[in-house]
Amino acid sequence: MKNVDKRKKNLSFTLIAIVIGFMIAIQFRTVKEPEVRDTRDTWQLRDDILKQNELQLKLIREVQSHEAKIAQYETELKHSKEQVLRDTLEELKEEAGLTEVTGYGIILSIEPVMEDLLIGKTVSNVSPDLLKRLVNELNMYEASHIAIDNQRLINTTVIRDINNETKIDGHSIKKLPFEIKVIAEDAKGAEKLYNRMQVSKSADEFFVDNLRVKVIKPEGKITIPAYQNAIRIRDMKPVDPEKGGNS
Amino acid sequence: MWLPVLGLIIGVILGLFTEIKVSEEYANYLSIAVLAGLDTLFGGIRAQLQNIYDEKVFVSGFFFNIVLAASLAFLGVHLGVDLYLAAVFAFGVRLFQNIAVIRRILLTKWTSNKEKTEKN
Repeated sequence: MKNVDKRKKNLSFTLIAIVIGFMIAIQFRTVKEPEVRDTRDTWQLRDDILKQNELQLKLIREVQSHEAKIAQYETELKHSKEQVLRDTLEELKEEAGLTEVTGYGIILSIEPVMEDLLIGKTVSNVSPDLLKRLVNELNMYEASHIAIDNQRLINTTVIRDINNETKIDGHSIKKLPFEIKVIAEDAKGAEKLYNRMQVSKSADEFFVDNLRVKVIKPEGKITIPAYQNAIRIRDMKPVDPEKGGNS
Repeated sequence: MWLPVLGLIIGVILGLFTEIKVSEEYANYLSIAVLAGLDTLFGGIRAQLQNIYDEKVFVSGFFFNIVLAASLAFLGVHLGVDLYLAAVFAFGVRLFQNIAVIRRILLTKWTSNKEKTEKN
């Protein structure tokens, strides 16, 4: 009985001793952090500051040189042939009508005459001849970009009658009213265009067809979408550089 | 008697080899817990030598002292008073007393043993 008691006593002593040892070791590790003391004197500190300053200066110089390089690259890019070509391409695309255009302009709303509707006359389609005439007139008054019913007009656009449907490059105008968006050179041009369209002759022609042209001048800029179809050029070929010379 | 010493060594080795580190904020708590543990250990040894050892008292004293010391330190931190110093003081005094008693008991044992052998 006494032996068992003694063993039990020893066991608990040992366990607690292990726990205490463990705790002491952890505490030892925690407290005994490698302490790095700063033992430099004034002159050494000055030296270090000097070194750091030099490093800073070097870094600033490096940054400056990199920035100069970036600027140089940018100017080179601006003046390089590639950029010129890119710019030209962009200009040509804009001219051909392949880009969306935003600018000052007017909106012409073509709508049926209400009075005639009351009488019972059916409003037929707007005829392609009338549209052509209107577009010509707009071009005469220096319109830069035109879109009929959100279909952009380009140089090769055809307005024609197919099976009694007026089609603009395959886009048919079925419902009335529709809008013709016109962008002029600038705000002044838009103003001029507006004034001229107010007294335009083609508006009278439209009235003969029971259609009314309403000229609206929006406050801000208007946007004309890009030409959606692919431009097919059938009868043109690129110039052969061999024959044309290497200029 | 050598078993607890071995346990202490094993514990130290275990603690050194495991990569456990207590963060700076809790170092205080751990130090006070270590102090409480040591106090209990020496109290146990003294009781053993005086033949008044009680296992229940020993084991419960160990855990209770640690918890009490840690909570005292915790309270001190939150009250803005270094209350853990009270625990350090109490345990320190008791540690010294216990060690002194152990020394005296061992001394008397040693001298009586010596006298016995001389008599023989």
